[in-house]
Amino acid sequence: MKRVLAVLAVFYCLGIILASLIRVNFSAVLGLGMIILVFACLNFRKNHIFLFLIFFLALLLGGLNLKNSYLRPKCHISNFVHYKDNTVYSLSGFVDSAPEIKNNRTSFVFRLLEARVDKLKWRCCGKVLVELGFPQELNYGDNLALIGNLQRPYGFNKVRQGYREFLARQGIYLLMRIRDTRQIIRQDGSRGSRLMSFSFRLRDRIEQVIRRNLADLPASILSAMVLGQRRGIPWLVNNSMVKSGTVHILVVSGFNVGIVAFIISLSLKIMRIRRKTRIILTVICLIIYCLTTGASNPVIRATVMGSVFLLAYLFKRAPDIYNSLSCAALFILLINPRQLFDVGFQLSFASVAAIIYLYPKLRAFLRVRDYGSKVLRFICDGLLVSFCAWMGTMGIIAYNFRIISPVTVLANLLIAPLAGLITLCGFTLVLCGLFFPFLAGPVSTTCRMLVTLLLNINAAAIKLPFAYFYL
Amino acid sequence: MLNLTSEEKKAILFLLVVAFCGIALNNLAKLNCRVKKLFSPEVRLAKIDLNKISLAQLLKTRCLPQKTSQRIIEYRLEHGDFTSLEGLKEVKGIGEQRYEKLKELFFTE
Repeated sequence: MKRVLAVLAVFYCLGIILASLIRVNFSAVLGLGMIILVFACLNFRKNHIFLFLIFFLALLLGGLNLKNSYLRPKCHISNFVHYKDNTVYSLSGFVDSAPEIKNNRTSFVFRLLEARVDKLKWRCCGKVLVELGFPQELNYGDNLALIGNLQRPYGFNKVRQGYREFLARQGIYLLMRIRDTRQIIRQDGSRGSRLMSFSFRLRDRIEQVIRRNLADLPASILSAMVLGQRRGIPWLVNNSMVKSGTVHILVVSGFNVGIVAFIISLSLKIMRIRRKTRIILTVICLIIYCLTTGASNPVIRATVMGSVFLLAYLFKRAPDIYNSLSCAALFILLINPRQLFDVGFQLSFASVAAIIYLYPKLRAFLRVRDYGSKVLRFICDGLLVSFCAWMGTMGIIAYNFRIISPVTVLANLLIAPLAGLITLCGFTLVLCGLFFPFLAGPVSTTCRMLVTLLLNINAAAIKLPFAYFYL
Repeated sequence: MLNLTSEEKKAILFLLVVAFCGIALNNLAKLNCRVKKLFSPEVRLAKIDLNKISLAQLLKTRCLPQKTSQRIIEYRLEHGDFTSLEGLKEVKGIGEQRYEKLKELFFTE
């Protein structure tokens, strides 16, 4: 079997889905898994039976991993807090995310090390989402002591996935709202990973370069495209892109990862670094880029896929796109199986899977290769890719966002290549801003022109008849 | 010399095209003010005109409760168009915090 990894990923996902639907005893399934593992070892030489057992094991593993992810350690802070709790807690720990300041408010994820109520003090673990009602200069890793009430997030939407479930997938079960600056006390030193700290500092530096060279609106769009930072995107722009089905361009995707890999590889080649070292350094840079953009599901997918391809060249093996996609899915789901129910994860994998499966088939069916004109071939290819992605994601979008946008196919034909061009210009601007600031001027003008064109095309697309309709 | 692949040559060509395009646009903008429109997106693409928005559209934004949205429309009918966004603060139900949010959503001409 050529695509074992793809089948393994399918069975693993099935295991997660089954475990979410039925009640299973963790120990019983674990015992069953051990027995099957022994059988698999005994049937090592019988290829068909061995594969069947391995696939069944993947199914059990998926289910077990999901059940295990719901269990929280005994010291987890959420075990000590009721739904409505007026107790004043004093928490010690450190900032575990890049703090975001918006509308004069600051929010960040706080990793706990110790909690205190009155004179009772105990070591605990877990994460809390902290919202400060004022702007505060904080950095990733800062040691803090926070004083306030803890509360569980509201569900909001009981039928479908709500805010509570969204936070739970990130391991956050509690919120702390702080109104007064006296409730937050800085402590000496800092914790957290140095690599993460470096990545966040790099992101701030790149954002500064973008904001210095562009006006607010183009800067927010470019930040989203290059760094995946969507907090500055105006509501109207985001909404009109959802309507036209082009909101995916505001997310860091495989294209960005490809550009980063190309830039790094080219720079290293100019420095005359050997091929093997070049590939290893490129993979390291891709990981740093992934962390810089916040390590969202699409970026992790693209980074893993890119790394698999690069490592395949390193080990002189033929890369397979299905296997690399499955490898990315397994990587994400092994760390956090609950990501399977995340809309971003579903959209990212569904679109890529639809493109790589449907596109070659449709291309062969329509005999695009035989078209005489290059321009016609380019237009057809663009339409087909856009159509395949739409087909792959339409069901998920209709279910989650209650919107169907037939204009997506046409809009993407124009907007996707333009977005690619903007991303390229964005990276050029960042590199110029960092290393040759005097060159940033002309590049920023081109960026602004392209962003303006993109916004105008998008605004025109949603004005077309039957462009979109709500369900 | 460096053995550049065709992709690498394309990358260098791309950089040059971007730089030339930027310089040409800059130059044209200095000669003709209208050209500036080409590379500065209009505010209406990112924000909603507060003096033209209807109640239904206002509700669709989901940034205000129904009563406050109605009050904004009533205020506009009573006092005429908003001359600046600061005028929103005079509408009952809009405090400093909500105003900060609305500032990002609306504009006035």
